[in-house]
Amino acid sequence: MNRLFLSCLIIMASILCFQMNCFAGEIIKDELVEETLKGKVFENPYKPYKYNYEDVYAIPIRLAVISNINSEREIQEGQDIVFVVQNNVYHHGHKIAKKGDRVYAKVGAILKSGMNGIPASIIFNDFKFEGLESGKITDSYEKFGQDRSLWVYPLKWLLTPLPPTGTLTNLIKGGHAKLKTRDVFEVYYHPNW
Amino acid sequence: MFKKTVLILMLLFAGALVFAADSDKETISVTESEQISQESEIAKEQSIQSKINDIGSKILNANKIQDRIVFLYDTRAEKSLLEIDSTVTRRQVVLYDDMYKFTQNDDEIAAMLARGIVTAQRSYMGPVNGYSSAVKIKAAPKKFEMVSDKIAVDYMVKAGFNPLGLITVIHKSCPQKRFDRFSNKNLTSKRLAVIYEYIYTKYPYFLANNTYIENEHYQNFLLTSQHNRKLLYEKIKTGSKEELDYE
Repeated sequence: MNRLFLSCLIIMASILCFQMNCFAGEIIKDELVEETLKGKVFENPYKPYKYNYEDVYAIPIRLAVISNINSEREIQEGQDIVFVVQNNVYHHGHKIAKKGDRVYAKVGAILKSGMNGIPASIIFNDFKFEGLESGKITDSYEKFGQDRSLWVYPLKWLLTPLPPTGTLTNLIKGGHAKLKTRDVFEVYYHPNW
Repeated sequence: MFKKTVLILMLLFAGALVFAADSDKETISVTESEQISQESEIAKEQSIQSKINDIGSKILNANKIQDRIVFLYDTRAEKSLLEIDSTVTRRQVVLYDDMYKFTQNDDEIAAMLARGIVTAQRSYMGPVNGYSSAVKIKAAPKKFEMVSDKIAVDYMVKAGFNPLGLITVIHKSCPQKRFDRFSNKNLTSKRLAVIYEYIYTKYPYFLANNTYIENEHYQNFLLTSQHNRKLLYEKIKTGSKEELDYE
């Protein structure tokens, strides 16, 4: 008798559990994440950094890219880019970066060139120097293409009385953003930030 | 007879006095309640304003943005069509009540502010004290809308906010148009797909450790973005570098 009662109880409990599962609001899983990111370990990109902007002292570091980059060719957001330090950098007599050191950065957002002469641009960010805290270095560097909008807009306004010539200026595209190995730019290291 | 008349008149006079006193009290109490409601309204606005200031300054500091940008909570529903966008002229990021009411947490407020910060910051760049950049932003709003979304993700991450908040707040607040070819705005679904791809590529941590997965709005985004996510899945599988044509 007890065994029969126990079996009935188990059956009823299992039916109840099954029904509860059926009626519970199902969470839609992100298959893309499940299939491509599941099981991989990623570092939290947020670095709690205690800044102190009281100090204005900054050391310039000159950089150049290791190979030519063009905004319209195979370049992707998030891609790693290698730069090379162009000069020896000292702080209080200590060498903090030497000429030829490799520096890694990421491609941030890419803005493609647009109509009316709007130039393309590439943002490089997340500069990583060996032995230097990344929180103390300039956050990003943006390389712009040739800005033709400076003459396209005035031309468009001049041609407006002669339709449709003004509209044709829409077709003039801005310059591509190119970063060549000979282009040297500066980022700043703020040792006391 | 005379005595009775005087008595009645006195009673009427007394009654009028009591009525007048009562109405005075009522007037005072109405004015007081109006004042109290106005004060509570001001206190509410001050609390929202200070929250916006704190979050905005946190984003500016964490991203080392060296341009002056201020924040304003505006109780008006939305910007008037004739009004000039103060983000590019006065470098003032305005959060209208119509947008604020869609936010449910700090990530979403940060998302709104970060987008404004990107636009305001870009209006400092270029010739004529950034005037030419402001013209470009106004002339090509679709292009800069996408870029603002992407850079806003970077700013949010640097300031310690979850970038998925940008997806949920846009998903809730921006309606879906039929076409975007002849519009000055991108399709919301396209914007969301581009933001999702950007987070997937640059900050997969937030998708692998998704704290928004049980959020109803994020769930609805997953439900409505299946086609675009399939496109991204194929792109990842094939290792293609082509820009996807999201719908």
